[in-house]
Amino acid sequence: MSAGPGLESLVDQTISVITNDGRNIVGILKGFDQATNIILDESHERVYSTKEGVQQLVLGLYIIRGDNISVVGELDEELDSSLDLSKLRAHPLKPVIH
Amino acid sequence: MLPLSLLKTAQGHPMLVELKNGETYNGHLVNCDTWMNIHLREVICTSKDGDRFWRMPECYIRGNTIKYLRVPDEVIDKVQEESKSRTDRKPPGVGRGRGRGGSQDGPGGRPAKGIGRGFDEGGARGQGGSRGGRGGLGGSRGAGRGRG
Repeated sequence: MSAGPGLESLVDQTISVITNDGRNIVGILKGFDQATNIILDESHERVYSTKEGVQQLVLGLYIIRGDNISVVGELDEELDSSLDLSKLRAHPLKPVIH
Repeated sequence: MLPLSLLKTAQGHPMLVELKNGETYNGHLVNCDTWMNIHLREVICTSKDGDRFWRMPECYIRGNTIKYLRVPDEVIDKVQEESKSRTDRKPPGVGRGRGRGGSQDGPGGRPAKGIGRGFDEGGARGQGGSRGGRGGLGGSRGAGRGRG
């Protein structure tokens, strides 16, 4: 990430979002606003389970409301492409509790 | 690009809206506002577990209940077209407006305006509070006491 706080430096990059309901959505950040509403293009959800590999569900173009966003992070595409998601096992995240 | 401009551009398109309670609404976007309140037509509502459905001719959803919206991929290309044409139009209008205002208000206009304003404020405060004719400071104190 280049200088400065905020999401500006991540625009047009692939990001990974964790939502309050415990989902992990990966996509290209196309825009955001003061409320952290974000536009994700070409997005997909990664569904983690302990019994089988990570499933990727294609979602497409999404507007995620800021209220529902816990974490936004840039995705290291090099590292990511070296992962074998089909062999990766993990517990699904629990929803955020308020 | 702002999420709400994308949403605005999606007017007339089909979309899926998931609410925080897990219900989803499929319908065509009629209108939306800056709070993300949305108005859909020809709606199918699906319960959280996905096993019950309701059809309704239209519905209105308060923005703060929304978790996310799924919009057709092609909508994002239409936003960019609109924002380009907007920036093309703006500059000439702004320039003209500033020029005119400056020449009319000129040297004579401004002082007169300033005096008028000061006088009005003093008068209004004087009436509200106990002290009449004094400067701005005295007037404002008077008003404060009056309320208390």
